[in-house]
Amino acid sequence: MLASQAIDRIRAFPPRMTEFTKQFWWGLASGDFQTTRCDGCERLTFPPKPFCPHCWSEGVRWVPLSGRGKLYSQTVVHAAPMVFQEETPYRVGIVDLDEGLRIATRVLSETEPGLDTAVEIVVLQYRDGPLFAARPL
Amino acid sequence: MTRNVAILGAAVLPVAKWQKPRDADVQVLEHEILAKVVIAAMADAGLDKSEISSLVFAQPRPYTQQKYFATFIANYLRLPCTGTVQEVLGNGMTAALAFEAAANDIRLGKSQVALALGINFESAVPAVEHMMNSMKATGDVDFHAPFGFTPISWYAMDAARYIYEFSSSREELASISVKNRRHASLNPIAQFRKPITLDEVLAQKPIVEPLGLYEVPPRGDGAACLVMVDEEIAKVSGKPYVRVRGRGFFHEGAHQINEVPNDMIALASAQRAGQAAYSEAGVTADDIDLAELYAPCTIIEVLASEALGLVPRGQGARLCAEGVTSLGGRIPIATSGGLQSRGHPAHVTPFYSFFELKEQLTGRAGERQVRGAQLGVTSAELGNYNAALIHVLEGVQ
Repeated sequence: MLASQAIDRIRAFPPRMTEFTKQFWWGLASGDFQTTRCDGCERLTFPPKPFCPHCWSEGVRWVPLSGRGKLYSQTVVHAAPMVFQEETPYRVGIVDLDEGLRIATRVLSETEPGLDTAVEIVVLQYRDGPLFAARPL
Repeated sequence: MTRNVAILGAAVLPVAKWQKPRDADVQVLEHEILAKVVIAAMADAGLDKSEISSLVFAQPRPYTQQKYFATFIANYLRLPCTGTVQEVLGNGMTAALAFEAAANDIRLGKSQVALALGINFESAVPAVEHMMNSMKATGDVDFHAPFGFTPISWYAMDAARYIYEFSSSREELASISVKNRRHASLNPIAQFRKPITLDEVLAQKPIVEPLGLYEVPPRGDGAACLVMVDEEIAKVSGKPYVRVRGRGFFHEGAHQINEVPNDMIALASAQRAGQAAYSEAGVTADDIDLAELYAPCTIIEVLASEALGLVPRGQGARLCAEGVTSLGGRIPIATSGGLQSRGHPAHVTPFYSFFELKEQLTGRAGERQVRGAQLGVTSAELGNYNAALIHVLEGVQ
């Protein structure tokens, strides 16, 4: 179960949801961070996919992720697209999850976190739905 | 039968803000500008328009109102063609892919004279609006864009990782902007030509940390036309020309980040594509006299020059600060001024790289001439160098 933080605004650029990915987004809203794993080659993938990108098997299942990892890199965006104007400057980064998956997300930290710092994934509960972010442990 | 491809003629529009706002009474339109560039390029090649049989366009930005631009220009310039008339698109690689398609028509014997050409007008579209498009082209629209990544934010994260892993510094990276502006000061078609100091670069407002305004590409408009021919035509022309010696391509099968953690700043695509291009050319990195790289931000020039073996891994920024990659140094990089100062009209940027190498390798680069330059390397990329297209060019005088 991920920690959760309420954000009193709507998402600036909300993700689209499909019949398949709603499991991810609905799960995220209730604190679950999950992805798909191949029944055949047992490899994980992220974002979750209805097939395995490694062996192309269509036999996949949802599995929970620890939500723990290390910060591979980060930046602060000062020049942002129109819809993000009210949020600038904001910090984003690349996280290597403990399960061996690389993801990119917001980073919650007032000060510049060192690279390779341990981070955890948290849920951002916007008024219109969830996103996720990483924050230093 | 394999035919050698040569660049016999070329012309470009100086990079600048040419586009007028949508509500301006008098507009500057793409087809009028490009027609002049085509006529100039053909005059440079010394060929008659009747000899052209293929047109390969870099697709214009979506802001260009005239759609089906390629076929429109075939009409505008009255150019019947037996090879092909087409537009290609591939983000920053667009113009290099157009170059490839034109070269392939020559290699396959479909054309003896093929134009690789295009125009990129975008500067009157505000950056915040333009980024609403570009953020969807760099990353996953549903799993990256909602967090606010911008195209150059990925490069900024390369910079942060590079500084961390190789004990480099923003100052060392910023020295690339100073060097490239010095080069641009000698280039009449560059967008920004007034020399700048390291302190000025460091004092600019942050754009994507640690990079500031002078370390990221400016916005501008450009147009270019390369006249590509079967080398037999170049030989009989009596003019100096450039021969395509080698090419290499590699797409790592990842977009922006690799979901299987890798060494992001090794630019594996540029390494693999570079090796393939050197191998086809029968040369090594040590044989290269100068490089004109697709490097929107300072850090990318460093990473691409390391991946192509022009400088040792982890030392690219430091060696730039020491002058090794400057005009007069061991391996001059971005003699045009690069994307920060020559300018970066993205869909045609690689054409400008080929143009600079043609100027250098035919001894026409004036004050910025690399003495005795015979072999040059150029690159183009997709994403965060998830794919690279590398060409080795040789001057024939």
